[in-house]
Amino acid sequence: MQYGFYFDQNRCTGCFTCIVACHDWHDVPAGPASYVRLKTTEKGKYPDLFMSHLFMTCHHCQSPACASVCPADAITKRDEDGIVTVDREACLGKDACGECLDACSYGAPQFGAEKDCKMQKCSLCIDRWAEGLKPACVQGCPTWALDAGPMDELQAKYGEVKEADGFTYLPELMPSIIFKPKRDAGDLAVQKVRIKPDPDTTG
Amino acid sequence: MPENHTSETGEEKVVRTVCASHCGGTCQMKVHVKDGKITRIESDDESENAHRMCFRGRAYRQRVYAPDRLLHPVKRIGPRGSREFTRISWDEALDTIADKLKMVKETYGNAAILHFCSMCDPHVLHHVNSFHRLLCLFGGYTAPWGTISNEGDNFASAMTTGGRPTTHEGGSQAQAYLNAKLIIMWSFNPVTTLQGTTVSRSLIQAKEAGAKFYSVDPRYTDSAAAFDAKWIPIRPCTDAAVFLAMANVIIKENLHDQEYIDAYTFGYDSYKDHVLGSDDGIEKTPEWAAEISGIPADNIADLARAYATTEGAYLATNLAAGRTAFGEQYHRAALSIQAITGNIPIPKGGAGGGASQFQELIRMSRLGTPERPKNPVEADMPLRWNKLPYRGPSVNSSARVNVNLFSDALLKGKAGGYAADYKFLWLSNTNYLNQLGEANKAVEAFNEAEFVLVTEQFMTATAQYADIVLPVCTFLERNDLRTGFGSGAIEFLGKAIEPLGESKSQLDICSELALKLGITDYNDKTDEEWLRHIHALWSEKVDMPDYDTLLARGGMYFPPVDYSASEPAKTPEPEEKERKLFPTPSGKIELFSQLVDGMNHPKIPPVPTYIETWESLNDPLAEKYPLQLTTPHFKRRAHSQFDNLPWLQELQTQLVSINPVDAEPRNIKEGDMVKVFNDSGKMLIPANITERIMPGVVAVPQGAWFDLDENGVDRGGCSNTLTRNVTSPAGAFSPNTALVQIEKGKG
Repeated sequence: MQYGFYFDQNRCTGCFTCIVACHDWHDVPAGPASYVRLKTTEKGKYPDLFMSHLFMTCHHCQSPACASVCPADAITKRDEDGIVTVDREACLGKDACGECLDACSYGAPQFGAEKDCKMQKCSLCIDRWAEGLKPACVQGCPTWALDAGPMDELQAKYGEVKEADGFTYLPELMPSIIFKPKRDAGDLAVQKVRIKPDPDTTG
Repeated sequence: MPENHTSETGEEKVVRTVCASHCGGTCQMKVHVKDGKITRIESDDESENAHRMCFRGRAYRQRVYAPDRLLHPVKRIGPRGSREFTRISWDEALDTIADKLKMVKETYGNAAILHFCSMCDPHVLHHVNSFHRLLCLFGGYTAPWGTISNEGDNFASAMTTGGRPTTHEGGSQAQAYLNAKLIIMWSFNPVTTLQGTTVSRSLIQAKEAGAKFYSVDPRYTDSAAAFDAKWIPIRPCTDAAVFLAMANVIIKENLHDQEYIDAYTFGYDSYKDHVLGSDDGIEKTPEWAAEISGIPADNIADLARAYATTEGAYLATNLAAGRTAFGEQYHRAALSIQAITGNIPIPKGGAGGGASQFQELIRMSRLGTPERPKNPVEADMPLRWNKLPYRGPSVNSSARVNVNLFSDALLKGKAGGYAADYKFLWLSNTNYLNQLGEANKAVEAFNEAEFVLVTEQFMTATAQYADIVLPVCTFLERNDLRTGFGSGAIEFLGKAIEPLGESKSQLDICSELALKLGITDYNDKTDEEWLRHIHALWSEKVDMPDYDTLLARGGMYFPPVDYSASEPAKTPEPEEKERKLFPTPSGKIELFSQLVDGMNHPKIPPVPTYIETWESLNDPLAEKYPLQLTTPHFKRRAHSQFDNLPWLQELQTQLVSINPVDAEPRNIKEGDMVKVFNDSGKMLIPANITERIMPGVVAVPQGAWFDLDENGVDRGGCSNTLTRNVTSPAGAFSPNTALVQIEKGKG
């Protein structure tokens, strides 16, 4: 069994509710750690423009590079649901190690502002599934752009598109997310890409 | 989720309430409380139609527990604006305020007391009426008239259809979008303004069903992007010209709805004369409007044809373009286009009859609430020349001051034509200095006042200029109720937690001040007694659950948006044609307004007219200040609310947006600190160089907190540093009419 996300890029208005819903549920302060981020890509020249948003979090990869490289075996891929979890007690911390951060192409591992900060990240809201609830981001989305659940169920409902504007599927990792991608009209040049919260300025 | 579930460390309860922020939305909140403290806030998520909160509401826990929340009364100890305050007791604060009020009343009369309560936390018990009742029992005060958001629309709608404006943003409108085939968003950006989230959801559903979108706006908004709209950039303040040119195309190509015009409109011939130019010799062609607006003539003609020929066309003309120097003309011109294409729904049953359940709710909303006494200051005063028919004699009284002009009124008083000299300024739930035209003039005006009292949750830019600031609790710390406000909701709201620190509710503050003023009959009920009393009366009018059930649910919607339902057809029935359907002098939609004609104002013509604004690009001032300023909403704020929350701050940065065409000759690079300035003020702010704004236009999002440095430069990015304290002829706030210059600045 593998759990994962579905993201309809055409429904996302870039409203950031997924991010704040996650911060509030998991009590994550503003700062360098953010389990969810939003990447916005602006393309084209005045006045023919295009813009897309991408929901970014841990994709609970089927072959999680973070778990492979962790020297402390602090990162586990659970058999029952494929969710990738981190044992913060076992984690060596960003200053001493930080291997997972380098290994993950999707920027999923998060580290707080504190000294010797330990890795933290999206757990796909394991605590909420136990109460029959979907993740905080999914259930908070005001435009119903997100879903989560067993990948086979999501694929049966939404198809199997593995890429979206701003997202590349990496077969060596096999991220557990599928999309309804937003497509631009043609070959519009990328003007700006911004990620919020910005890992470069909050970190 | 169970309503009360046990967590590892103790009992957690979930309180249902409704977010009462200044966006105008009414989003249900589920507030998790443990040991008297809020631990989490979730959206309502009970059904597929659930109204999920936006990220501002989801961040409300940070607002309640913000380290900068004001938790005890303070008094100023340095000069105004020095930020030097000291903590005082409630007794000292209320005694001082009572003494000042009595002194002002005895020395200058009650009209010298000027009060305004804005729409922050806009519930019923703890809102405008708390203050109004107190001040009326004290002998009266000067109240404001008009709105900051939409006075141009209020005026235009009253003159054209006789009624209040249609909100395009409120949840009650969400249903109407579902089956639209063509949606023209005109200065309409619901993805950002977030007056609730239902409109965005409906528009997405319309997009998925194949609706075509246009966005007419100086900026490529987040809404234009979200709904894949064709962007039609337009120069600020030129919208009325484009509507007249669209009418020209529609009339000349015979695309208008003559049957509808004949049945439901008045003054079509005068309007047509103006559109064709037979009255003033200028035909309002697409080429004429193209020159003015910057929109290519073909695009104007295509838009006109699409609107007139598409069944299910929805023209969503929102408010920003009306917050301009002649904002009422924009709204009048928009309503006229809707009228000649038969797109204004005919009221079922005619004027005054057949009100919807929603309208019924609004009427009911005062029933049982604390009595609103008449204001003695307004007793013998005549009505204003520009009174609106749906407003009562109190709001139309010439004793009132336009809400946008407090600074001007404080500085000029009677000598400036105002009804009184104003000495005691009391501002409640409003960051007034920040949010109205010309912040530097407001500083000057506040400095002139004998006493400034602010009731607030934070030391806002406005509170910094007060003499005493009283701490108000948030809506999560008190009981209240609410109806209407565009959502069709009725809510009974139980408090989630006790007021933090020494903060108090508005009603409690007024009750205690009343006693200090010797008023003993101000309030005879607790909040809960009020709610039960009101519930009992409302239950006789509307079918609603018993008190405890309703309180546990937090409220209900009448009716909820149903994302699976269709909008009923709005074709009028033939026998309705003969009745007086609209509360205008003719009973019809007045393209030629008889009320306007009677006002005989040179800048408010009886047919919708494009009037070139002051500070247009043809103004000589444009040589010094060649860029047009717009002051749009910012997603992470509801006006100036939420500006200080870290969860939101990290998601958007306050920037001035400028097109590369304007940035390059000024040698401005992305992120550079730039100086934006004109005769009203100066600010330093980082630049956002973007293709998403029209060349010649710059945008400073409104709501960031004014922060003057020692050189008189605003470092906070407050857009009203650059606006003027004037209104349109009809009284509309006009922050989107301003010229500025930008140059590289020092950080």
